[in-house]
Amino acid sequence: MVAVLGAGALGKIAFDRGESLNAMWFVIAAVCCYLVAYRLYSAFLAARLLALDDTRATPSERNDDGRDFVPTNKWVLFGHHFAAIAGPGPLVGPTLAAQFGYLPGTLWLIAGAAFAGCVQDFIILFCSIRRDGKSIGQMAREEVSKRGGFIAQLAVLAIMVILLGVVALVVVNALKSSPWATFTLAMTIPIALLVGLYLRFVRPGRVLEASLMGVGLIFFVVVAGQWVADSPSWAQVFTLGGVPLAFAIMVYAFAASALPVWLLLAPRDYLSAFIKAGAIFALAAGILFVRPHVLMPPLTRFIDGSGPVFAGKIFPFCFITIACGAISGFHSLISSGTTPKMILRESHARFIGYGAMLLESFVGVMAMVAACAMTPGVYFAINSPPSIVGATPDAAAATISGWGFPLTAQTMAGLAHAVGEQTLWNRAGGAPSLAVGMAQIFSNTIGGERLLSIWYHFAIMFEALFILTVLDAGTRVGRFMVQELGGRVWKPFARTGWMPSVLLSSAIIVGMWGYFLYQGVVDPLGGINSLWPLFGISNQLLAAVALVVATTILLKMGRTRWIWVTLLPMAWLVIITMTASYQKIFDTNPRIGFLAYANALAAQLAAGKIPAGKLVDTQRLIFNQRLDAAVTAVLALMVIVLIVEALVQWYAILSSSRRAPALHESPYVQTQWAPGYSGVAQGDD
Amino acid sequence: MKRATKNMVRFAHRFWRGLREWCGDAAYERYLRSSAAQSDGCQRLTAEEFYVQQLNRRYSRPNRCC
Repeated sequence: MVAVLGAGALGKIAFDRGESLNAMWFVIAAVCCYLVAYRLYSAFLAARLLALDDTRATPSERNDDGRDFVPTNKWVLFGHHFAAIAGPGPLVGPTLAAQFGYLPGTLWLIAGAAFAGCVQDFIILFCSIRRDGKSIGQMAREEVSKRGGFIAQLAVLAIMVILLGVVALVVVNALKSSPWATFTLAMTIPIALLVGLYLRFVRPGRVLEASLMGVGLIFFVVVAGQWVADSPSWAQVFTLGGVPLAFAIMVYAFAASALPVWLLLAPRDYLSAFIKAGAIFALAAGILFVRPHVLMPPLTRFIDGSGPVFAGKIFPFCFITIACGAISGFHSLISSGTTPKMILRESHARFIGYGAMLLESFVGVMAMVAACAMTPGVYFAINSPPSIVGATPDAAAATISGWGFPLTAQTMAGLAHAVGEQTLWNRAGGAPSLAVGMAQIFSNTIGGERLLSIWYHFAIMFEALFILTVLDAGTRVGRFMVQELGGRVWKPFARTGWMPSVLLSSAIIVGMWGYFLYQGVVDPLGGINSLWPLFGISNQLLAAVALVVATTILLKMGRTRWIWVTLLPMAWLVIITMTASYQKIFDTNPRIGFLAYANALAAQLAAGKIPAGKLVDTQRLIFNQRLDAAVTAVLALMVIVLIVEALVQWYAILSSSRRAPALHESPYVQTQWAPGYSGVAQGDD
Repeated sequence: MKRATKNMVRFAHRFWRGLREWCGDAAYERYLRSSAAQSDGCQRLTAEEFYVQQLNRRYSRPNRCC
């Protein structure tokens, strides 16, 4: 029944060619597909492929220390795991991919999650549980090769740097020339400091009461932002351009990384977690209540690669633009991080690993609905750089109308006024357009047009707040990675408490992602055009690394018959990332190929067509494009080396002439817990 | 009616406990119940010490995704 309903809904969104489509069809199609995938495919993975064993003691039982290894109720751990994996990616990626129309992105979100993303998260979680909670890097080192482990470690650092640069660019584009949004986000810093001091000195560890207090203050500053925007003198203080905002974010991240974690980073994370959970729930409820009509066509003319948001054909760029929500390599770090150390029973890995990723995919579908529910002309006006659509509102409106998406400059001026912004033109990055979509859904639920501006700035604050949480937490982890790598050259550098090392490593990691951020901010094509595909490629390459490790472990476990479960998504990822890498480096279209763009600029420079005032900027732009090409090539090369290493292992496993390499699982220990034990201590219930 | 009220109270109690576990509010209580805190060989941490140590460990590895 569920399968028939899901197939009907999928058919409706795939083949409907009416004027507009109700968003409920998306919800029904997604939920039915998820239920079928969870009931059938994940059950097959749990029973036949992995043979989950509840008689086996998990790391949380064997090593229970009340700190890292904590036996945790499966619903609570599901919440932990979901809060950890769901970042800005499943919101921003589908919003950007909406330029191809709603259909390709929606299908990839649903199918990618069911057959690739959930599989990766589930199997890596299982592998880590069987290895005392070891990380993906450690597993790669033990099960593939030492070189494989080192490559995985470098890949993690590389993706971290690119990820942080890109998400910071999304925040900059959301806050640019917006005093209301900038004030609101700036105020979250003193609020977080206040919460941090309360949790450290007043009521240590009382997270719930402190967070609720902080969330209340954040709601107040969202409203107060309007007063700031209405005050000419204060509005001037908080109206910042791209470059000053970029440097402000770098300074913030440096401080958050170097300061004690309890003071700024952790309390921000608490606030962000509560607001993230609330906003995602509110978006789902709003879509169900409003049931908006999707106005974007199923496919747009931009599937040919000429898209204004980012250039590149539907294959492979749709599949790397939507990473989180379909499959994200970064999840393998969480699945082999905290979660395996807290899981109560092996069978819970199915619900937590597979189930949480399905929920993240649903967040991606909701983001797609929110982006596609706005008028397509407005969507393209917000997300297109002036170098593509034209520098003036009238010129841009004429260009977008010429694409078949009617738009007037007055429409954009009216919308900007309604949401309390000076302008909504050229706000690439996905965050502002998603905020407009969310605000329209929220205001149709509560408050009507009157509250549109409040909802818009609430949505911007929500997105920016948890992007900054990713940014500061990522910078700190990146700092530890730099210290670890630096410690191989000079031992004292690895001491995480030594202040000179802390400051230097923080500066190095901020400098690395800050460079990508800066080049994105000053890029005439909008930055997102170059950097989001780079981020997608690196994230999907990390997913390929995780699936190589998973395939190797499954082969060692003797599951050769079912090896297609990981081999097929791995092969698909290798095909799309290698194709995208090749096109991003060598394509002759300057909007796609980094080298073609650099060469076109170099030719203009040589011909003397660049004005004297822009010579330095152009030379820097040429260097940046060549740097991006080199980074893409190095990432792709690392994965090729890892695959070759893995192929040698696989040959050794499958070949009867050689001794099969050993599996590095922890020894079997029988659980001491009763079958019904659910992680609830005596007296709790 | 009485049964429904009882079920609702039970659900609210479970939800509250789950929320406290999820956000880390109950982490110290859980630590005090753990075998590590109850063993004689280890000095039991105060709430403040536990809170700071826990945060330092949590934020030294990837714990937030993209």
